[in-house]
Amino acid sequence: MSKYRVTLRPALDGKQPIQRNGVSLEARPEGTLLHLLAPPSTNELPCFSEYAANLSLRPVSPGQWFAVGDTALPHADLQALASSLKSEADIVDQSHGRIRILVRGPMAMRVLAKGTAVDLAIFPVGHSATTLIGHITAHVTRIDEDAFELIVLRGFAESLWDELVQMSLEFS
Amino acid sequence: MASLVTCPHCGARPKEEFTVKGAALTRPAPDASQETWFDYVYLRDNPRGAYQEYWHHTSGCRRWLVVNRDTATHEIFETRDAARKVTA
Repeated sequence: MSKYRVTLRPALDGKQPIQRNGVSLEARPEGTLLHLLAPPSTNELPCFSEYAANLSLRPVSPGQWFAVGDTALPHADLQALASSLKSEADIVDQSHGRIRILVRGPMAMRVLAKGTAVDLAIFPVGHSATTLIGHITAHVTRIDEDAFELIVLRGFAESLWDELVQMSLEFS
Repeated sequence: MASLVTCPHCGARPKEEFTVKGAALTRPAPDASQETWFDYVYLRDNPRGAYQEYWHHTSGCRRWLVVNRDTATHEIFETRDAARKVTA
């Protein structure tokens, strides 16, 4: 038995939301984040919506999606979802492994444009893309006209947060 | 090197998102001669002009692509998913 106790704490624990003129940063709750993997030729998962009404589905790459929710999914529900999707896709629970950061405000696009080459001006609401922000791989979803949600690997979350703080400094 | 690569899944992205593996060559038959295999594994042409390479969209969709580009003008003629068979 190790003398060090493993304690669960959010990756962005202690990071207060940042409020600037025209842009805000906020760590989203570590609720549910499932990685759905299907053959690359799969265009949609018709079975998904009827079983997981409170999870939103975001395309990652051909045949892959993230299913995202603010609250933790009980184990039984995850099992039920996995068995109902069995013929379509496999599920990997990444709730502990990927962190969501919300960048909101009229200047959110200007802040993110400093880090990524994706043209956010022609990025429709609801659209997702996996890209680099600086040197960190992140998944970007435009969830509203002026709001972008980033999904990043847990180990990179603090670095990305610090970079976003720097990138938004001009609006303070 | 070309600085914008058009991924068939993600659209135009900077080359920093990609990893280049090298020339896209046809794999010899398993029972081909040792000379043919040595050639396939180690020997590379270094052409000035058209070149076909495997690129991996590491920081994007993570799909392997075949990029058809010009080593002199940096022009990219075609990109396709490596899993897509070419009908020649």
